[in-house]
Amino acid sequence: MEASVQEKTKIDVKNLSFFYGTTQALKDISMPIYDRKVTAFIGPSGCGKSTLLRVLNRIYELYPNQRAEGEVMLDGNDILNTKQDMNLLRSRVGMVFQKPTPFPMTIYDNIAFGIKLYERVSRSELDGRVEHALQRAALWGEVKDKLHESGLSLSGGQQQRLCIARTVATKPEVILLDEPASALDPISTAKIEELIDELVKDYTIAIVTHNMQQASRTSDYTAFMYLGELVEFDNTEKVFTSPTNKRTEQYITGRFG
Amino acid sequence: MRFRMLTWLASVGVLAIFAGVLVSLGVGALPAIKAFGIPFLYTEVWNPVTAQFGALASIYGTLVTSLIAMLIAVPIGIGIAIFLTEICPRPLRRPIGIAIELLAGIPSIIYGIWGLFVFAPWFQSGLQPWLIDLFSDVPVLQDYLGGAPYGIGVFTAALILSIMVLPFISAVTRDVFETVPPTLKEAAYALGCTTSEVVWRVTLPFARTGVVGGAMLALGRALGETMAVTFVIGNAHHIQTSLFAPGTTISATIANEFTEAVGPLYLSSLIEMGLILFFITFVVLAAAQLMLGALERRAGGVSS
Amino acid sequence: MKNMARYRRRKRGNAIFLTLSTFSALFGLAWLAVILAALFYRGLVDLTPATFTEMTPPPGVPGGLLNAIVGSLIMNGLAVAAGTPLGLLAGTYLAEYGRYTRLSFFVRFVNDILLSAPSIVTGLFVYEIIVVRMQSFSAIAGAASLMVIVVPVVVRTTENMLLLVPNGLREAAAALGAPRSAIIKAVTWRAARAGILTGVLLAIARISGETAPLLFTALNNQFWSTNLYQPMANLPVVIFQFAMSPYEGWHELAWAGALLTTVAVLGLSVVARILESSKRN
Repeated sequence: MEASVQEKTKIDVKNLSFFYGTTQALKDISMPIYDRKVTAFIGPSGCGKSTLLRVLNRIYELYPNQRAEGEVMLDGNDILNTKQDMNLLRSRVGMVFQKPTPFPMTIYDNIAFGIKLYERVSRSELDGRVEHALQRAALWGEVKDKLHESGLSLSGGQQQRLCIARTVATKPEVILLDEPASALDPISTAKIEELIDELVKDYTIAIVTHNMQQASRTSDYTAFMYLGELVEFDNTEKVFTSPTNKRTEQYITGRFG
Repeated sequence: MRFRMLTWLASVGVLAIFAGVLVSLGVGALPAIKAFGIPFLYTEVWNPVTAQFGALASIYGTLVTSLIAMLIAVPIGIGIAIFLTEICPRPLRRPIGIAIELLAGIPSIIYGIWGLFVFAPWFQSGLQPWLIDLFSDVPVLQDYLGGAPYGIGVFTAALILSIMVLPFISAVTRDVFETVPPTLKEAAYALGCTTSEVVWRVTLPFARTGVVGGAMLALGRALGETMAVTFVIGNAHHIQTSLFAPGTTISATIANEFTEAVGPLYLSSLIEMGLILFFITFVVLAAAQLMLGALERRAGGVSS
Repeated sequence: MKNMARYRRRKRGNAIFLTLSTFSALFGLAWLAVILAALFYRGLVDLTPATFTEMTPPPGVPGGLLNAIVGSLIMNGLAVAAGTPLGLLAGTYLAEYGRYTRLSFFVRFVNDILLSAPSIVTGLFVYEIIVVRMQSFSAIAGAASLMVIVVPVVVRTTENMLLLVPNGLREAAAALGAPRSAIIKAVTWRAARAGILTGVLLAIARISGETAPLLFTALNNQFWSTNLYQPMANLPVVIFQFAMSPYEGWHELAWAGALLTTVAVLGLSVVARILESSKRN
């Protein structure tokens, strides 16, 4: 991992284990997530990659019997600490889900809602922020004439970009993407990938994906996981061209998974 | 083939019961409709001695008691649903849910006897004088919440109705809350929303149709409820401003007077009121049906 | 930058919101507790062996509720005996033969309306078609008015329970060459048996407390009577009349009757619920 030397670590996962009831889903994971880089999590279904992502903003806490052990340092502070304020954590670590999740409100309000949670902004400033967020998500041109229609009226790809815009608008530091393109057509997928390239200039991004090409195209670092363990972590080029582990090689060449 | 015919006949029988209710009430109400016409609906006079009848006081009482009951029960019923889905520790959810639903299982006559012997005297000596005193200097409210503390009256009836319909609202609301996709709520929490923001901005708007449907269902029950109201409303055919004054509802009037009604016009007027009640509840329940039906289709679509 | 004052205000709002929701639940539970407590407190004192062995008395004389209890059992029994087959068959049509027909759409709609329609209106209906024609209040009329309440409950639960029966079971029976009617009677009804029984129990619970439709159908009878063509005593109407009277002795009997009725109704509901959940598992 010599490439990591010059990188700044945003999130440092240390000896993380995770349990659904008595079933262990993550086994002693340790890895860094670098600042303003894209880190991809790959691996076969059930390997724990989504679970790991869901620890990073503690969204798993919504459900009973789910428990994390170990440390997850965000800028040097352990977010698994019980004193950590959950809402503030999530305002710093945003998340976009597999299926688009527009709220039952207008396109404008979908974005403005998140902004107004933590900031006091004037109407005109809000308008500007909404426009800016939609532009960053490459959606502005498509929706600028129907900002006050329901977010549900958009196509699937547009809805997903709306959700990304919504997350970006709240100015988080980290954005978690949980298979953001798996429910979309190829054109929408391409747009999302372009968006990731654009966003990484300002944000730390962690993405879970099933799609090998997507991981190799969009990410700077790749973590391959299998059965709840971190098998290999390195810069993406290295993982895809000369993996050190046999399993990683088999998986990325499509021989299993 | 014979068995199939039998089931077909039985389901037509359900329609026949419904049609029978409409037709028989219509026929029974005919003399009163002929005698009083449309003004029956907005005449307050109710005088068995001179055989002059108008339904206004009863219709007014029915609408006012139900309206107040809904004002109390809708927010609290939704609050219970929120408690059960968002706040309550999981092991307690089922027992508390069942306990609330037991409120719907208690027969209405029990609410009546309890209201008359337990609640009304307590209300009369405790809360009611305090409320009257509290609002005695407040304009407008002093008229609505003033007068003598009888214990029984329109407000008492409405309060008991609200307790009765509470479980209908909370049960339907809880069920529609559970149709909200978990990822939608996760998305809101992932933005840093608090529980109340998730409920107000995501869960409630998403579940709106179902919640309104549940409220309509409860309203339908409240409008037609007889025994709980009859015990405590005071049976007075006057419309009084004060909600603490005695009044009556359509169903209470019928229950109180039907077996003692002498003269065909008296009886027919009571039946016409039954027809009016049936009509009002039909409209409300049909609306509830359509809303909840739309929801079922949507839920079906989502799950498939 | 994040506005912490704003966030503190939001957290405060959230705390208030959660407190109010919790109070809503306490509000509902408190009424349940208060009502049941009053019922047991008054009812247990007034419930004596005589309640089950003596007839309803005239004012000022001790007595019991025997004729009313028996009357209620008779009329409930008749209503369920007549309403269950009708509801079962209609529910079967909706779930099996006519699942998607226009007729079923109307029947479902009307049935759901009847399910919540004011029970006093069904009393008026039966008064018009039976009492007026027979020129007498009667147990038959009382049972008929209760039957009108039983049918929609049984229709709804039967349809729901039959819809839960997997189609594979029907197909397997059909593959044996069984005709549709035999499949329904031998397979689907049997598979849905517990659920349908739940519906019947719920229907009994529902009518056991019904008062309004009996007021002008069965009326009441101070004396022992098992004549179906005569007015018949029944618990709900006795509770109503005794409670509304000025006599303390009658009030006591009304409370005893109220306790009996509630225990019966809630007991049936609980049994139905247990049956339902055991079926689900």
